[in-house]
Amino acid sequence: MDDKNGNLRLIKSEDTMTETITTYEPDNSLKKGYLSIFGEIFNELKKNRWLTYQLFKRDFLTIYKQSFIGVLWAVIIPLVSIGTFIILNRSGVFTIGDINIPYPVYAILGMAFWQLFSAGLIASSNSLVKAGPMIAKINFSKKSLVIASTGQSMVSFLIQFVLAGILFVYYGIAPSPAILLIPILIIPIMLLTLGFGFILSLLNGVVRDIGNILPIFMTFLMFLTPVLYAKSTTGILAYITTYNPLYYLVSVPRDLLLMGTAPEWGGFLITSIISVIVFTICLIVFHLTETRVTERI
Amino acid sequence: MNDNIAIKVEHVSKKYCKSLKWSMLYGIKDIGRNTLGLSSYSEKLRKGEFWAVDDVSFEVRKGETLGIIGPNGSGKTTLLKLLNGIFWPDKGKITIKGKAGALIEVGAGFHPLLTGRENVYINAAILGMTKKEVEKDFDSIVEFADIGDFIDTPVKFYSSGMFVRLGFAVAVHCEPDILLVDEVLAVGDLAFALKCHRKMSEFRQSGGTVVMVSHNIQAIRNVGKKALWLNGGEIKEIGEVHHVCDLYEADVVMSRKSGYDTIGSQLHYDPAVRISKVEFLDNNDQIFTSYKVGDYFKLRIHFACRRIVKNPIFTVSIFNSEGLTVSSNYSNFDGCEFSQIFGVGYIDFCLDKLAFKPSKYVCSVTFSEEEVANVLDWHEKCYVFTVAGSSANYGLINPFPKWSLKYNQGGR
Repeated sequence: MDDKNGNLRLIKSEDTMTETITTYEPDNSLKKGYLSIFGEIFNELKKNRWLTYQLFKRDFLTIYKQSFIGVLWAVIIPLVSIGTFIILNRSGVFTIGDINIPYPVYAILGMAFWQLFSAGLIASSNSLVKAGPMIAKINFSKKSLVIASTGQSMVSFLIQFVLAGILFVYYGIAPSPAILLIPILIIPIMLLTLGFGFILSLLNGVVRDIGNILPIFMTFLMFLTPVLYAKSTTGILAYITTYNPLYYLVSVPRDLLLMGTAPEWGGFLITSIISVIVFTICLIVFHLTETRVTERI
Repeated sequence: MNDNIAIKVEHVSKKYCKSLKWSMLYGIKDIGRNTLGLSSYSEKLRKGEFWAVDDVSFEVRKGETLGIIGPNGSGKTTLLKLLNGIFWPDKGKITIKGKAGALIEVGAGFHPLLTGRENVYINAAILGMTKKEVEKDFDSIVEFADIGDFIDTPVKFYSSGMFVRLGFAVAVHCEPDILLVDEVLAVGDLAFALKCHRKMSEFRQSGGTVVMVSHNIQAIRNVGKKALWLNGGEIKEIGEVHHVCDLYEADVVMSRKSGYDTIGSQLHYDPAVRISKVEFLDNNDQIFTSYKVGDYFKLRIHFACRRIVKNPIFTVSIFNSEGLTVSSNYSNFDGCEFSQIFGVGYIDFCLDKLAFKPSKYVCSVTFSEEEVANVLDWHEKCYVFTVAGSSANYGLINPFPKWSLKYNQGGR
């Protein structure tokens, strides 16, 4: 087997006694042909599942270490940001539009889906830079590193869902059975996050401006996307929202969960297809260029 | 590829960029071109770039150990990283047969806040072990590291020795076919260093291929039969280990020349007394400064005394190229005593068989009266001579031992 990244080769399987041969040369993929890339990527991801899990564990275990309340921060942070919007709303500074369900439930669900994208993207774009010295000294799958870095946003997602569950009980409303579809409904937003994450982690490896700009840009994007307010029906914002893929990825799962139906199914499907395409292209770009970045980290 | 070859490197070059700004620009450009399926024309140098490794070709056979030596910045570590696939060559081709494991920095993946136990699992995964392998080897790793209860302590509270021991323990359990080692064996205390050397030796004896980068020439001489000398990214010499190491050491010694000639300083305390000249001579009293190991050696100190010097003491101290004192002798201690001297003459310092290892040496000569501390004339590190020959032994000198083996009565 002739794989691109040394890591596949590093894993010895008991059944193959024949030795693997690895070659490194410039423009390797050009010589081997574009099609062989898919097999390479697939094998690499498959073989490195355990590594990905370990890298996720590394992030997860360290993020709240040396802190008294530890993992409680994952609950406090979303509560504070939603609390802020509730206060702003009550005081009339911030209008949220026409919503016929309790605002806290609406907001926390919106935030849960939104931060899959925003937190996931910020984490993945920093993943290569953060692992810097490790990358320059050990040859291991950098795709695993990027994928594992989004794990933290999945954990936050689960925590916020538990919070949402408490709110459902408090307000005495029941989610629709579509809640069981959530694991499938978040796939498109995860793919989009990973796709952009791959590209931005590369670019951040070369030009550090990316890591500085991204959090600011994410805040901006959050206000542009109806996460904490209902979609406006008129004006420039309504126009933008129509063409904002993130709107569909956040609001359709939320509508489905709260009401059992989502009027904008079509937009969700189209966005899902776009997400798959973005993910595939970005993964290939990452695969072709990841070693270029190593030397510049 | 021939069955016996483990590593084949063909005309490999790697370029680096000196400027961060250009590096960013080139980075984006290369990523763009690679993405579009265009060649990145990596074989050409652009502004601000230089070849860190330049047209290097060699082969390593299975079971062979190759030592890579060279001055700082000669591309040794870059070459090792190329062999490991961390960087890709800009020119040429590298073919690796089998599983390659690199020990470029021990404990590189450790997170300071995680315990030793957590780090072992994560680091092992990063180094390419499977879950099954780690679970099987975990006890063995902890035993090898020998850190006891500290395994459940965050590694930031480890001593540097413990940190490195645990890192090395994980790395050696990866069982590669080819081991790429960069200067890591000089870690931990003596007992641990021995353990590492034994593990390496086991690995070599079981047919493992090793590529090792080290500044410790003796370590390179000890482990392998083949060495590669890199200089400015190019191969200066490759071949039999002692041959290459001898050439390299000779070159290092010679290139230090300028440093010595200017270091010397002379302090004259008594205007009436002088060391007027110091000469190196061979056994025919001919002036000579390029000795070979085992040669006859004579240092002649000419003196001129315009007054009577009572109980004169001459000293000769010899320093090697690393500045270590190889010998320091006082004429009175060696039984050469006079009640007084006056006038012009010389005293000879003779060695029948030069026991110094090949290197460049520098001598300090002093002339004292009554006691050593009362120096009249002091020539500090002023006189340079060289010794050539092979230096396959460790240590500062080669005392020309005679070895003999005998059995005890009935010991056979």
